[in-house]
Amino acid sequence: MLVFENILLALTAIKSNKMRSFLTMLGIIIGISSVIAITSIGDSAKGVVGKEFEAYGMNNMYMYLNWEMTQDGIEYSDLIMPEDIEALQTRFPEDIKYIVPYVSAESETKVGRLEGKLSMYGVGTNYAKFKKNITILHGRMINKSDVEGNKDRIVIEKKAALNLFNKENAVGETLGVVINNEMKDLIVVGVFVVPPSLFDTMFMSEAYSTYVPYPILQTGDKSNWAVELYTNEEKDQELLGNEFKSYLSRIKDKDPNFYVIEAAESQMATINNILGTLSIAIGAIAAISLVVGGIGIMNIMLVSVTERTREIGIRKSLGARTKDILMQFLIESVIISAIGGVIGTILGITIASVGMSFAKIDVIVDPKVIILAVGFSAVVGMFFGLYPARKAAKLDPIEALRYE
Amino acid sequence: MTDEIIRMETLTKIYDTGEIQVEALKGIDLTIHKGEFIAIMGASGSGKSTLMNIIGCLDRPTEGHYYLENIDVKEKSDNELSAVRNKQIGFIFQSFNLISRTSALKNVELPMVYGRIGAEERKERALELLKNVGLEDRAQHMPNELSGGQKQRVAIARALANKPHIILADEPTGNLDSQSSVEIMEIFCRLNREGNTVIIVTHERDIAEFTNRIITFRDGHIIKDEVTKEAGAC
Ligand SMILES: Nc1ncnc2c1ncn2[C@@H]1O[C@H](COP(=O)(O)OP(=O)(O)OP(=O)(O)O)[C@@H](O)[C@H]1O
Ligand SMILES: [Mg+2]
Repeated sequence: MLVFENILLALTAIKSNKMRSFLTMLGIIIGISSVIAITSIGDSAKGVVGKEFEAYGMNNMYMYLNWEMTQDGIEYSDLIMPEDIEALQTRFPEDIKYIVPYVSAESETKVGRLEGKLSMYGVGTNYAKFKKNITILHGRMINKSDVEGNKDRIVIEKKAALNLFNKENAVGETLGVVINNEMKDLIVVGVFVVPPSLFDTMFMSEAYSTYVPYPILQTGDKSNWAVELYTNEEKDQELLGNEFKSYLSRIKDKDPNFYVIEAAESQMATINNILGTLSIAIGAIAAISLVVGGIGIMNIMLVSVTERTREIGIRKSLGARTKDILMQFLIESVIISAIGGVIGTILGITIASVGMSFAKIDVIVDPKVIILAVGFSAVVGMFFGLYPARKAAKLDPIEALRYE
Repeated sequence: MTDEIIRMETLTKIYDTGEIQVEALKGIDLTIHKGEFIAIMGASGSGKSTLMNIIGCLDRPTEGHYYLENIDVKEKSDNELSAVRNKQIGFIFQSFNLISRTSALKNVELPMVYGRIGAEERKERALELLKNVGLEDRAQHMPNELSGGQKQRVAIARALANKPHIILADEPTGNLDSQSSVEIMEIFCRLNREGNTVIIVTHERDIAEFTNRIITFRDGHIIKDEVTKEAGAC
């Protein structure tokens, strides 16, 4: 088969025609680099989304009033009341691990001459057990007695401690805030950190993130438009969500569509689905550019065969067989497109890394994709190189030698 | 005779160019023996190259028979003809036909590449062949860095790579000055003395004088076939 000799020959031919070889490879380079860049960006995005959701826990869900259904006006009794929450907990003792009203508030605060904005998130007992990425640096998390005693306590992030108190350990300090138009002094009982999340970096929220016992954020009547839940993670989240929803609508004597469930798991599935579809669509466009690249290779190989007709004649006169000539040209086109594939892979990874570095995301490059891309480009080279190579191989030696 | 190497029987070659048909060889009967040194002469267009191409298995006859070492080439497949060109025949052209952008050494190695000879042996032998034609110091030169006479010597070295017994040269001195022509002819003489059958096409009488048999063509026929010397006497 003379594979080794033919590889050397092909490399010499490519080297002696650098510009042309490069232009020929361009189609493949563009095709492969876009495939690699897009799949890598897609995979990285999926990875980030996955991490983001994992931070909240895959068994996290919200149940809230469906705004569309409430357009004709909502009645006070439609809101989710403490007794509804209790009923849910009693009805699903195993499947609901955590259920509290979903309440949050923002407030300016001042410590001496230092100012800042706090974003207060209402939590119940054991919240940190479910949202696993919270690390307490000093003090403690909001606990049962804080929640049940409706105490004015707050757990703040490290950044807030450093910026407002000029020290990391701010436990025991006091923060003045406004909740539901009422001034309150909250005692810092803990300082925490969470790994930076994509959403934070993307929205650049300037408010410090803090946790408070949820009752202190509630209005007097304790009514809620939404609840946050952590569920039995062994079970299908969508099915569980539907059970909760129908139970709640039954006790509230409402249409089941009156309440909505937003489960982390199904949201993630939806996002991944969109990302997947996007990857496929753009991947298909990239595949078309690969085909165009392949046609470019075929074109240049046909030119090359014509240019080298005399050489082919000489080789045949010296005893080259049809198969030898076929292999020579086939290997050349495979090598051209494989080199294009390698350059395209490097370029694609570079594009993906640069693009992702703006979003401060680590690129995920699937080695399978690289093997597939380079392999596929070689196949493109083989497929589109076959016709020119056969044309070369079938040349009549006398006619080829006579060619000028 | 037992040592006949080439025999043609009423061999014709017709080039079919679609509209007109050119009968380049019109019933050739010819026998060539091992060790002969033959010159083929004749006017332009008389069919000399056509005959050489058929002898060299680059082309097939239209009618009649060509026996190479007693085997009718009609019986041979294209791959077998490739093997014949590779092993049994060394072909030298007027225009040298070296592969450009490929060193003299690599050019000489080519027939051995197609003969599946290993890289080391190939290189060693190619250097030896270049030495035999006085070009050991030009091994790494590209064809465009060589003179006409040097190119033709590289071509001869290449033709001899697989030790063929038949050497065919179609106007080997056609592009060379008289000094280089004589040098080339001396190489052919040496090859003939070593027992090879050498057939050359030439237009020049003094080149033909080197050989021991002169065959003259006109219009696709052999019109004269004279033995001038004893075989191997050059
Ligand atoms: N491929 C071809 N197609 C058509 N006609 C051809 C072809 N090759 C040769 N001929 C014709 O065949 C005849 C013999 O050609 P050939 O090349 O054998 O002549 P020659 O004796 O070698 O001439 P010269 O001395 O000029 O080289 C010529 O009339 C030529 O035109
Ligand atoms: Mg001729």
